[in-house]
Amino acid sequence: MSRSITLGHYLPGDTVIHRMNPRIKVLVLIIILSMLFAFKSIPGLLTMLLAVLLLFAVARVPFRYLLKGLRPILYIALFALIIFLFFTKGGVVLFRLGSFTVESDGLEEGLFVIIRLVTLVLFSLLLTLTTTPLSLTYGLGYYLKPLGRIGLPAEEVVMIMAISLRFIPTLLEESQRLMRAQVSRGADFESGSILSKAKNLGTLIVPLFVSAFRRADELALAMEARGYRLGAKRTRLQEDLIKMQDWLVLLTTILLLVVVLYMNI
Amino acid sequence: MFIGTDKLTHTYMPGTPFASDALKNISFSLGRGSFTLLIGPSGSGKTTLIQHLNGLLKPTSGKVYFDGKSIGSDKSALLSLRRRIGLVFQMPEDQFFSETVFKEIAYAPRNLGLAENKIEERVFKAVEQVGLRPENLLDRHPFHLSTGQKRLVAFAAVLSIEPEVLILDEPAAGLDPAGKLMLFNLLSRLNRIEEITILVSTHHLDEVAELADNLVVLTGGRLEMAGKARDILARRSELQDLGLALPQVTEIIDELAARGLPVCTDIYSLSAACNEIIRLKRVDQS
Repeated sequence: MSRSITLGHYLPGDTVIHRMNPRIKVLVLIIILSMLFAFKSIPGLLTMLLAVLLLFAVARVPFRYLLKGLRPILYIALFALIIFLFFTKGGVVLFRLGSFTVESDGLEEGLFVIIRLVTLVLFSLLLTLTTTPLSLTYGLGYYLKPLGRIGLPAEEVVMIMAISLRFIPTLLEESQRLMRAQVSRGADFESGSILSKAKNLGTLIVPLFVSAFRRADELALAMEARGYRLGAKRTRLQEDLIKMQDWLVLLTTILLLVVVLYMNI
Repeated sequence: MFIGTDKLTHTYMPGTPFASDALKNISFSLGRGSFTLLIGPSGSGKTTLIQHLNGLLKPTSGKVYFDGKSIGSDKSALLSLRRRIGLVFQMPEDQFFSETVFKEIAYAPRNLGLAENKIEERVFKAVEQVGLRPENLLDRHPFHLSTGQKRLVAFAAVLSIEPEVLILDEPAAGLDPAGKLMLFNLLSRLNRIEEITILVSTHHLDEVAELADNLVVLTGGRLEMAGKARDILARRSELQDLGLALPQVTEIIDELAARGLPVCTDIYSLSAACNEIIRLKRVDQS
């Protein structure tokens, strides 16, 4: 059942943020990420953190998805904080143990880096949670197009990416089905030596490859039958029109970047 | 209750926006040695239900029973459960991975840890049970067989566990009517001669329906009807309300009855319909 497997983080919804044009969304994210690196103080970054939390509320993403998304960077963040506490000196001494001291500049810089990291991850998470993998691919692919001039087949690369994304859940589902069928025939995928586990994998990989090749064949035929040709100009059923509000969002972000750079906060 | 469920509910991806109830409060039971047909349109939850019966899926709530015991999650108990309940998946021939038919069928007994001569014994027995001839078959590559033969080899690959219960998910999918009839006759024979309890899922009623003792009707994850096959087949209007078409021959016979012919309407197979029409003709002539 495809219901039991999802790809990436995408959470379906119908909010302003979900409806935004993926091309603009990708561009806006890049601008915001560079803006995060332009900030020089904690208050500025905190404003951005507050802003992204607000945007999550607008996109109606439950809070636990944020926590889940932040879990992978927990250790990196802790590690960074410890490094700064140990090695950055200056300001008031907060804590002393023999010759070892923790000083306020270290704490400040550590917090600064952590807030920047968290905000950065949250903004990226907002993009992947509110954009389907497919439109994300097309959004990114748009910026590959100029590479066509130097011989990179951008359209085809995007098509390959889109098809791969499309078939990941299918293959996952299929391998799950195969595993269950073999478990029903007495296979044990959980216990046993590494050798027997490797042997078990063989019984999964063979039928998986057979079906993947068959699917690839059928898909190629179906695409050609519907007129797909390499290098041909394609149009899309759902034109990703850039609406007025998309332009406004882009413009606002650029203005913000300019302000941050100019004010040097 | 030999095998069955009690208030079984299954939710896919609970606690996410993708959550959906595949099964809602299902209670049913099958007796030892029975032959049951599980009928429901595609997406009605048949596969989900079936996968609970040998412990592949865990109920979100409710219980699954086998031989008087509730199926838990204890690993060794599950392992021994799967030696007693054989499960044949949809399109099982897509799952072949061996280079010979022998190895394919020997996979399950080998997993059971049997001795080589025992394994061979079981392979031969299973092949004969599905009505194939072992000579010229066991050394062939399973991919090179015909669709019908592949399907039978896949059945043999599960029968080699020597299960007490055989569950088959849409075993006739992709077969022609003759192949389908052959297959259900085979199942009926396994049920009668080998005394294997059989549960078969299928997405429409047709002439094989009368081979079964019991029918269980599932739509939209709910159990709508369960009982003796003949009783349920007689509840025509209810079946049609559930979107299940009756066997074509039954519709023809019903139409004859509606036009006032003294026809016996308890007919679900082509041969029974032929006999009935011949009988009518005779009555007519005399």
